[in-house]
Amino acid sequence: MEKLRTFILNLYPTTKFFITLFLMITPLLLPGYLYSYLVPVLCLFIAMIAGKTKLFVDIVFKGLLSIVIMIFLLQAFFYPGDTILWTWKIFSIKQEGIDFSVQLTSKILAVGSAIVLFFQITKINDLARSLEILGVSPKATYVLSSALNIIPEMRMHLLRIMDAQKTRGVETEGNLRIRLKAFFPALTPLILSSFSSTDEKAITLESRAFTARTKKTSLHQLEKTKSDSVVRVLLLILFVFILIWRFFL
Amino acid sequence: MSGIEIRNLSYQYPTGSEKVLHNINLNIESGKFYAFVGVNGGGKTTLCNVIRGFIPHFFKGDISGEVLIDGKDVRDWDTSDLAQKMGFVFQNPFTQISGVKETVFDEIAFGLENLGVEVSVIKQKVQEIISLLGIGYIQDKNPNELSGGQKQRVALASIIVMEPDILIFDEPTSQLDPQGTEEIFKAIDIMKKKGKTIILVEHKIELIAEYADYVIVLQDGQIMRQGRTEDVLSHEDTQDYGIGLTQYTLLDLQMRKHNMITERIPITESDSIKVMKEWMSLQGVKA
Repeated sequence: MEKLRTFILNLYPTTKFFITLFLMITPLLLPGYLYSYLVPVLCLFIAMIAGKTKLFVDIVFKGLLSIVIMIFLLQAFFYPGDTILWTWKIFSIKQEGIDFSVQLTSKILAVGSAIVLFFQITKINDLARSLEILGVSPKATYVLSSALNIIPEMRMHLLRIMDAQKTRGVETEGNLRIRLKAFFPALTPLILSSFSSTDEKAITLESRAFTARTKKTSLHQLEKTKSDSVVRVLLLILFVFILIWRFFL
Repeated sequence: MSGIEIRNLSYQYPTGSEKVLHNINLNIESGKFYAFVGVNGGGKTTLCNVIRGFIPHFFKGDISGEVLIDGKDVRDWDTSDLAQKMGFVFQNPFTQISGVKETVFDEIAFGLENLGVEVSVIKQKVQEIISLLGIGYIQDKNPNELSGGQKQRVALASIIVMEPDILIFDEPTSQLDPQGTEEIFKAIDIMKKKGKTIILVEHKIELIAEYADYVIVLQDGQIMRQGRTEDVLSHEDTQDYGIGLTQYTLLDLQMRKHNMITERIPITESDSIKVMKEWMSLQGVKA
């Protein structure tokens, strides 16, 4: 298990991306929804091996599931069809709607969970580095990694602002209305202060010679290993096999 | 010529209604340690920004006069060359983190990576700086999760590791305890011994007396007094500009008021002991 875990986590970022791509495209190629619904399960399995179960489940449930249920209900009620299963006043659930929404949500769930999995098993800095090696500008990869790194920092900052307002007598705890009322005044200083710290961030980068025109080096070493080739070849064989089976047989 | 020459410099921020720097004339000799002192709002930080070239490269506004770095106007310097020539550590340690590195070690290495230094050399240099500043115990921590003082040390380390010729420190010890401050000054002193030019904004006058070669007193955007540290800090009227003198100087000035004239006015602890001993032996007191 431990071995499998390091095997997955140590794959090269682009290899992980190919796995994700494979998991995203194959549900669109294969007919029916059974396989598509299997993809999230497969993702969960990989996440379990990689030791990221909790985070993966969290994001899938919080983020994806609500969207999926919403789409399912909307399609079930409003997709045009004649086979009526259940009616309430002017609303009715139709067989065609159910069929369509099962199809649609299966794909969304598959694609979504594949993406969630990718970001769970890939470190942002690894991804940024591999993009740099592929020739993407360091400025672009800086934007990518700083944007993803800044989220926890901003959340902490927001909590600090709310604490500061609390000490000055602003009510921040209680029911939803009070919380909302406390939340919006905290946003203004958060946004304004991030603007002003952008200035200083730019100066920081400038002081660290970020704009120097020399070719950058990196302490961050990424290497493709044998397992990357194995995984890539396996994915390719599977993919070709699926294509042939789907379109030529 | 090497060093920095400032002639008739005036500057006004784009959003300001009056000038923050008035007719500044200053020569900064290379390899020397200059301390900028003065009350808040006196223009110290702005002057640092001008010397570093952030004004006018980064902040706009009305600038007149000349700032020559190694004989070439700062406006004609390429910004990436300036980054290699001059290191700059500013007040706020919280924004001086690149935000993309996961460990302090990598954070310190960031500047050298940008300069394209070879990986083996980077590792060696970063290691040296870490042991110089005694921050080995945080080298594997996430730079975003450090305390203010730790961040300040990391910010300082990240700049001096790049070994620029000129180092500008704008209150690099604002978050530090006396012990930490002393350590930073020792590190700065090591940089000076390596032949770097040092420009430091600082309020801790006793450490300035100990380490700086020259003191520049700024108030309301003007240079009120400049000269060798022992001259500026031994003058009683330097206090008129909101500068506190060291307790050794104050002691001596008090003695003078009571007609106890020493040979010279000391500004540091060791010098004070020497001067007092001499004075006592002259008076026939046995130490």
